[in-house]
Amino acid sequence: MFSRNHRSRVTVARGSALEMEFKRGRFRLSLFSDPPEDTELQRKLDHEIRMREGACKLLAACSQREQALEATKSLLVCNSRILSYMGELQRRKEAQVLGKTGRRPSGWCWCRIGPPAERSPCHGRVCISDLRIPLMWKDTEYFKNKGDLHRWAVFLLLQLGEHIQDTEMILVDRTLTDISFQSNVLFTEAGPDFELRLELYGACVEEEGALTGAPKRLATKLSSSLGRSSGRRVRASLDSAGGSGSSPILLPTPAVSGPRYHLLAHTTLTLAAVQDGFRTHDLTLASHEENPAWLPLYGSVCCRLAAQPLCMTQPTASGTLRVQQAVEMQNWVRVHGVLKGTNLFCYRRPEDADTGEEPLLTIAINKETRVRAGELDQAPGRPFTLSISNQYGDDEVTHTLQTESREALQSWMEALWQLFFDMSQWKQCCDEIMKIETPAPRKPPQALAKQGSLYHEMAIEPLDDIAAVTDILTQREGARLETPPPWLAMFTDQPALPHPCSAASVAPAPAWTQPLPWGRPRTFSLDAVPPDHSPRARSVAPLPPQRSPRTRDLCSKGQPRTWLQSPV
Amino acid sequence: MSYIPGQPVTAVVQRVEIHKLRQGENLILGFSIGGGIDQDPSQNPFSEDKTDKVNGWDMTMVTHDQARKRLTKRSEEVVRLLVTRQSLQKAVQQSMLS
Repeated sequence: MFSRNHRSRVTVARGSALEMEFKRGRFRLSLFSDPPEDTELQRKLDHEIRMREGACKLLAACSQREQALEATKSLLVCNSRILSYMGELQRRKEAQVLGKTGRRPSGWCWCRIGPPAERSPCHGRVCISDLRIPLMWKDTEYFKNKGDLHRWAVFLLLQLGEHIQDTEMILVDRTLTDISFQSNVLFTEAGPDFELRLELYGACVEEEGALTGAPKRLATKLSSSLGRSSGRRVRASLDSAGGSGSSPILLPTPAVSGPRYHLLAHTTLTLAAVQDGFRTHDLTLASHEENPAWLPLYGSVCCRLAAQPLCMTQPTASGTLRVQQAVEMQNWVRVHGVLKGTNLFCYRRPEDADTGEEPLLTIAINKETRVRAGELDQAPGRPFTLSISNQYGDDEVTHTLQTESREALQSWMEALWQLFFDMSQWKQCCDEIMKIETPAPRKPPQALAKQGSLYHEMAIEPLDDIAAVTDILTQREGARLETPPPWLAMFTDQPALPHPCSAASVAPAPAWTQPLPWGRPRTFSLDAVPPDHSPRARSVAPLPPQRSPRTRDLCSKGQPRTWLQSPV
Repeated sequence: MSYIPGQPVTAVVQRVEIHKLRQGENLILGFSIGGGIDQDPSQNPFSEDKTDKVNGWDMTMVTHDQARKRLTKRSEEVVRLLVTRQSLQKAVQQSMLS
């Protein structure tokens, strides 16, 4: 019988001669087989070191600021991954030396019924997507950098365990209401106690020296103080690999000249934040207004954090069983049982599980289910039975299944107990499978979208459509040709209420802008002050390049002053 | 006769069905809307179409923001509009004359 949750590097049957040899200290488990996970980690570390060399060369060769920003980001991500992997390798070697591998080979137990003393939950896949960070531009922002559109380059760094991933870099300016990342980030080996650390880094697109905001001496103080503390942070991150410490994941590289990224905000998400839908979480803001890369963050982040524990997506046990087809005890049907997720599927034949055939019977297994092992005297030859009871409203439904042998019964019970344990650890993730899309490989920053869209090509002649409409009308109604119908007044009449201000100067927003290469089409900030109907109304438009001072004293009736246009 | 905002009115309308275009992750219609019950109609540089209904939602008494939201629902791929315009009446008249 196959049982998936028996994870071990070396499988040693308890009570066997080999186990006796281990106990006598003849062999050390680590010498017996080279841990495959460590060589994998070493390989990743070597890869990152090579990537880092490439990023350094690229940064040195960059001429444009935006290229330099991308190269710096790659360099910083490589650095942080290197530190993280080195820390993890060191931690594993220490654990081996001390004899605590953290992973016991679990063996079979021949006679004991009951959960083993120490159980570890299954791993799962955790995916975070649709990340959106709202911004809060105040009116003063419009006046601060007149004429110049101040821009920032931002990206998110995400760490779970020793794995670090980054999102694409997005350019932000004050016409954006949110920073929206398109990336889906997937972590494949997370336990239910995972901590997903999220950090937002930002850098000015313009040279930092050109800013009038930050005083010069503060800027130099920032750069030099980062240099001094970097040594301390290297040691700190080696000690606390896995991002459990409070120091930021990302380290600056003072030796490299070029754009400098600053930590703007961070937060840590855990299992409690997982939901099959969008949720908003608080961000801890890490920089203040003096920082050259400071952005007016609203203070929260929206995202969809989904988790798929392996017990929900992979079969955890399978084997031959016999089920009762009818109430009478004699009629037992042989089936192939597969325990997967919250169901025990009983297929007619083992091949049916793969071909997608409907199972003969499906028994639900959830946290309310009760399972009992027993021995039936009435069924000679196969006395080992498994009873599964579920409560449906007022009724209790019990399925009794026969297993092939006592050992098979033990294995099924063990698999079921492991499943119950996993369900208790993964909680809401085991109610239903959460859908996770495998993230597509990220496309390089695209060039401007081409002009010839379908929209430009379509031309609808209004007269064509009206012909159909008017045909129907002529058939149905007599014509009223003389007097214009009342509804036409919508187009000709002046509005009933007078408005004294005829010259509210509002620059009309452009009807449709080209989609920009770094994000979704812009939405103009519609949380500008809405036209209020108080006596002291003022003229506000989303992007006022100029403001008419006259409107302030003339408007006394609270009339709508604007005529907004929005792309849809 | 005059048109009083807020009072129901019967008008000749045209049904328009638009399938949204896909642009990256988004579904867009590809045009702009302007106006709304909270906007100043005298500043309208165009004065042709008025939208009465979007996918069943009444649009005769909505603000600009409400109108934008109803047109940009992510879950809807098709937008069905009831649109009225001045030239509809002329077309009706002409067809009845001939």
